[in-house]
Amino acid sequence: MKSILIVAKRECGAYFGTPIAWIFIALQIAILSFFFFLYSPFFIIESADMRVWFGLTPFTMMVFAPAVTMRLWSEELRTGSTEVLLSLPVKVRDLVIGKWLASVVVLLASVVCSFGIPATIFWMAASPVDWGPIIGGYIGTVLAGMMFLALGSWVSALSKNQVVSLLVGVTAGIVLVLALSPDFAAFLTSTSEPLARTVEALGVQSHFRSIERGVLAISDVVYFLSGSCLFLALTVFQVELKKQ
Amino acid sequence: MEQINAGGLAAAAPASTRRDKTVIEADHLSRSFGQTRAAEKVTFEVKRGEILGFLGPNGAGKSTTLRMITGLLAPDEGTARICGIDIASDPIAAKMKFGYLPESIPLYDEMEVIEYLRFVGTARGLVGLDLQQRIDRISTRLGLKSLLRRRCGTLSKGYRQRVGLAQALIHDPEVVILDEPTNGLDPRQIIEVRHLIRELAKECAVIFSTHILQEIAAICSRIIVIHSGRLIADGTPEELAGEFREGWQVVVEGSGVDPQRCEEMQLAAGTPGAPGETVHQWLGDSIPDLDHLQKRLQQCGSPLIQVGVGRESLEQVYLRLTGGEELKR
Repeated sequence: MKSILIVAKRECGAYFGTPIAWIFIALQIAILSFFFFLYSPFFIIESADMRVWFGLTPFTMMVFAPAVTMRLWSEELRTGSTEVLLSLPVKVRDLVIGKWLASVVVLLASVVCSFGIPATIFWMAASPVDWGPIIGGYIGTVLAGMMFLALGSWVSALSKNQVVSLLVGVTAGIVLVLALSPDFAAFLTSTSEPLARTVEALGVQSHFRSIERGVLAISDVVYFLSGSCLFLALTVFQVELKKQ
Repeated sequence: MEQINAGGLAAAAPASTRRDKTVIEADHLSRSFGQTRAAEKVTFEVKRGEILGFLGPNGAGKSTTLRMITGLLAPDEGTARICGIDIASDPIAAKMKFGYLPESIPLYDEMEVIEYLRFVGTARGLVGLDLQQRIDRISTRLGLKSLLRRRCGTLSKGYRQRVGLAQALIHDPEVVILDEPTNGLDPRQIIEVRHLIRELAKECAVIFSTHILQEIAAICSRIIVIHSGRLIADGTPEELAGEFREGWQVVVEGSGVDPQRCEEMQLAAGTPGAPGETVHQWLGDSIPDLDHLQKRLQQCGSPLIQVGVGRESLEQVYLRLTGGEELKR
């Protein structure tokens, strides 16, 4: 555990000691805010919810998560600093979790920075604020974010080139969010019901939507956590593979 | 430019260090990359207090062997033990015992030197005052004291090398493994690093790779020559040179024996030796009769300085060894 925190602290320093983390956070919030205030009925009926915000979150996440994680391993592999890192008496598992944890800190920082939106709603909305879906939306954001970041970490360990890591990460995100979407599942229903159900179960959107509605089902939490564990395990495997 | 203070850590070395203890055992390490055999049954031991030079041309398999010893690369066959601990079965315990400086000196450019050393130190289990004292000691020793607040990315090659050395030495390891540590340094920095390596050998074993021969001759107590993945020679610089001697050499004062008289004295034509000396190769089948030779040379006006084994320079040994391998292939 101590090793994980040592690695996470160093990675946090790399994120927040340079403009990287702040640029990602600012961009993500700017884009989400733009669409939120553009498409939300907020200014028309002063609606007290963040459905548009959280509806867009999986889409921004599929781009921003790989952008945050692309340097995690690619950069180390490119400069060769993995040589020193892997010569330290730290388990590969701890290195992987530590690095991922640092990217989760960037995610949490972005979540905290976006608290201005619910605060604005609370201040301006005509009707009382229903906090359930908002809290649910944030929990869903963190859970889905953890999984996207674990996916990005794995993809980053696959290539020395950060641009390649970003593109592969975004593509994998598109598969999880768009290809395995409820709409596509509905399209498949006429062909094969079990296939449609599988597609829906594997996709991010169906799980995210139910949490976003304020319903925190165990199956959805398990989906995101097991997804995170799977991608982290694949990262450990990939880093260990460098020795082979 | 700050000097490397080589004496700094020597005083702190544990008094109980046994110089004859074997600290590195490489046992039949083999590794292939596709069709290329990068290392083939490389076997050797290193004892505490030894400075082992790993000599070979670029691409000979030096780094591959060192990476297998440090656990960065899994061997196809064979084992490596650091202080008796198998790197494959207990990598964490083995990694506590050594410090490693890779060839490319990779640092985290955005980190300050002190942050980097703290990171490596804490990852190696050092904490609090102990960590601070070690950072103080190693930065003083390596002349990094005034640069602790500089970002690694702004350092020159020489200082990057020192920071790389500092991270490898911060935990007072029993084994120091340096991959081409003087690569890209200026002559003064090279001398400083050599001095440091000599000092380190008082406390631990040092194994370092290079393709520069002068380096090996200057500081190593033992040399391993590796070529095409195979260990082709292992010994002290003297042994290696002696093993491949050409015969006897007769060293005389002045410009040497007249070529016309060389044949009757069983000497080859003279070649210039040290200033004011000439070296003749002995052509006789047996050991030269010293008294007789001395008299004859005196008569020729070329007084004898010494008769010794004609040892090749290390360069010649190296070229012959690696060249021979090249031909076999």
